[in-house]
Amino acid sequence: MEQEKARTRLFIWLWTAFVVVLLYLPIACGALASLSKGRYFAFPIRAFTSEWWEKTLDSIEIGMIVQTSLLVAALVTVISVVVAFFGALAFARYDWKGRRLFQKIVILPIFFPQPVLGLALLLWFSAVGIQTSWLTAVFAHLVWIVPVVTLVIAIQVYSFDPSLEEAAFDLGATRWQVMREVTLPILWPGIWSGALFAFLLSWGNFPLSLYTAGADSTVPKWLYSKMVAGYTPMVPALGTMSTLGAASALLLGGLVLWLLRRRAAA
Amino acid sequence: MAQTSLSHPAAPVSLEAAPALPTKRDALLSLGARCSLPVIVLLAVGFVAPLIAIFAYSFAKPRTFEVFRSFTLVNYAEIFNVNNTVWLSFLWSLGFAFATCALLAVIAYPIAYGLNRVFGKWSSLVSILFVFPLFVSENVRLYGWVLFFIKNGVLDGTLKMLGFEGGPQVLYQPPMILAGMLYVYLPFMLFPMTLGLAMVPRDLIDAARDLGANRWQIWREVELPLAMPGILIGMLLTFVLGIGAVAEAKILGGQSVIVISHDIFIGALTLAVFSRLDLDRLLGRR
Amino acid sequence: MTQEAAPKLPILQLVGVRKTFNDFVAVEKIDLDVIEGEFLTIVGPSGSGKTTLLRMLAGMDQPSEGNITLHGERINEVPPNKRPTCLVFQSLALFPHKSVGDNIEFPLKVRGVDAKTRKARALELMRVVRLPESYHSKNVMKCSGGERQRVALARALAYDPEVLFFDEPLSAIDYKLKKVLEKELKDLHKETGKTFIYITHSLEEAMVMSDRIGVMRAGRLVQVGTPEQIYNHPVDRFVSEFVGEVNVIEVKKGEEGAPWRGIDVPGAFHVRPPEEDAEADHAFVVIRPEYLRFLGAGDTAQNSLKGMVYNEYSLGSRIQYQVRVGEKVMLVELSRSKALPIAADRSVTVGWDAADAITVRA
Repeated sequence: MEQEKARTRLFIWLWTAFVVVLLYLPIACGALASLSKGRYFAFPIRAFTSEWWEKTLDSIEIGMIVQTSLLVAALVTVISVVVAFFGALAFARYDWKGRRLFQKIVILPIFFPQPVLGLALLLWFSAVGIQTSWLTAVFAHLVWIVPVVTLVIAIQVYSFDPSLEEAAFDLGATRWQVMREVTLPILWPGIWSGALFAFLLSWGNFPLSLYTAGADSTVPKWLYSKMVAGYTPMVPALGTMSTLGAASALLLGGLVLWLLRRRAAA
Repeated sequence: MAQTSLSHPAAPVSLEAAPALPTKRDALLSLGARCSLPVIVLLAVGFVAPLIAIFAYSFAKPRTFEVFRSFTLVNYAEIFNVNNTVWLSFLWSLGFAFATCALLAVIAYPIAYGLNRVFGKWSSLVSILFVFPLFVSENVRLYGWVLFFIKNGVLDGTLKMLGFEGGPQVLYQPPMILAGMLYVYLPFMLFPMTLGLAMVPRDLIDAARDLGANRWQIWREVELPLAMPGILIGMLLTFVLGIGAVAEAKILGGQSVIVISHDIFIGALTLAVFSRLDLDRLLGRR
Repeated sequence: MTQEAAPKLPILQLVGVRKTFNDFVAVEKIDLDVIEGEFLTIVGPSGSGKTTLLRMLAGMDQPSEGNITLHGERINEVPPNKRPTCLVFQSLALFPHKSVGDNIEFPLKVRGVDAKTRKARALELMRVVRLPESYHSKNVMKCSGGERQRVALARALAYDPEVLFFDEPLSAIDYKLKKVLEKELKDLHKETGKTFIYITHSLEEAMVMSDRIGVMRAGRLVQVGTPEQIYNHPVDRFVSEFVGEVNVIEVKKGEEGAPWRGIDVPGAFHVRPPEEDAEADHAFVVIRPEYLRFLGAGDTAQNSLKGMVYNEYSLGSRIQYQVRVGEKVMLVELSRSKALPIAADRSVTVGWDAADAITVRA
């Protein structure tokens, strides 16, 4: 019995490790490719160089694209957190007539394939005569990301005891004071995770940006266009940089989250 | 109210403050409904309206965007044409989606189980390892695979170095497309499944064991049925995403299979599954 | 210890059982014989290690040291599904996706019993626990608290285990229903003749049902005895206070032959020496509120204290008075029929006889 249990545990550890390796193998391949000398990738690598990283960093075109991507991600984060915060309250906190229906409507876009959504939005924009640009991309990202962030915050809201708000009212606080003194501080970890999700999902999004960013380009979109036509080692270089950027954002965000939790526990 | 014979000169404040809650409730919309408004408006303009637009375009003349000036059923007639390749590609995408969904369930289950029962304090680190790739653009990750399998790529190069023939040319073949889909959608199966397994109270498993059930019986009679809501959501997510796998098909499959998206089908399927699940219980665990 | 009238063999034996989690000692060196067919209750405050003890008996945890034997055979590592014992969980652990009948039949199903026999057995058990037959197909989540309790009991009895464990199953049930279920459980114990081991934090619950009670504190089994022994002969201050509200006076032995001196209240007292240690010179005198009485003119008692009544509470059939004696508050309880019309802030004298008080080692 015990031996069988130990075997199962070992199998689960090994299997998980195997899947994790597969998950990160292509990212490692990209990093390798970006560091190899020569115009075309060939393994094993004969000579390493940081040439392509330098070229990528120096490129004005790429700088603009990164700027656009950051701008889009930042706007999406701010708007989606505000909208999703109230959405999460409606989703999980208040009991109201249309809640069950609302919950299903919110979930639907997440389940919708993004390329289809992107294409549908493109048709919609052209039908009402809106020129697509990075601004329309922000809107498209919001349609998919707001539901995700709503869910993330809702999970925190579920663990929130509504009698705390009632107690604050009872002690004489106004609605605004209750929000500021009780609701927001308790929900902070959820809001912060929501913001992190919003930023990172927008930063890495490809299918929505492809259809709705018009002439403007984001990092994933630019990478795609170069993959299809005109490979240069700058493609894996920028891809790796973008991955590292997301990793550091996650690390930083995680650190803040950890501090928030610790402060809440203290 | 004004003519009440009892006077409370000492407490006029409380008389004014007290009705604050009830009067707000009497407003045009309930508090919950008002909180939901921003999301509702966003989804109405950004989700429902575009879908209606697509529907309208389906009546336009092929290869034009004149929606309201021309009305034609040519597109629909085309779909019902037996020789149309749309049907073939529909079957292809259905098959791919089924295979993705089934294989991912098998791949993810041991990991989800481990996250709940085996990894202990390591489980948050392990889940971060699985979440992170979600934030890396999928084309970057898939391109990494291309670099791995391509001629003179990592696999080919390694095998040649070891004196073998060189790697097989698997890129742009259907099995490779399936592998790409498994790779991209793993987290979408893993996390709902983990959530579902976390909903099985430890007590129930202990109780089942105490009552004489062996491990297989515990799994079949208690663990699986109770984790089913989460597993179902994971399967639905991966199935639906699998059907809409355009990006993967374009990159890994070249032009060999056109995977088309089937929006109405997806919407109906999603709603059908969710109408049978209690989201409050699934997410809030109460 | 004197021999029992009909000496029965111990069914379960614990010898030096110890359980540690990393550095934390949850259960410390417990020796205990459980007699076949008895109703044994382990009481203790939360965190005293009683649940850990029960989980080891049921096989869900293994002792770090010591041995657990069943019918003389060591069962330390025998998994729960291989033990002829069954645990009724605090949460009851009913399977929410199964009907009442399927819950009760579960242990039979996993043992490969055919459907017809299973159903007959389930219906029989439902009669025993007083559940209507129509409940067989009812969703278990739609049952009330008391009904769920009965389902859990029937399920535990289904495969005829020799020992039943109970982990505070009545803790979440309202007072009135709890009283009914306590008595039903006691009846069930008599009807089935099985060994019941029950844990709870409420001594009141233990007193109603048990043949023997074990009191746990900080991982140790402090005292094991009949309810009468626990109530009237507690081994220390902790056990005496656990039984209910008591008055405790700290005393020191005086010179040879002289009475004992009070430490936290002034005065000299007649005190019986502690049962456990007749030579002790430092002790606590424990007086239950119902043994303390008001002394009017002409009334006498071996010991007395002067104080001031400052509060009175109705406890239903009895009335409790709070009397301030110096810095200390003494509790006096009288039955309602004997209640005195005592106004607050009235000076009184309270008294007791040495024979009515219990002395325990300090």
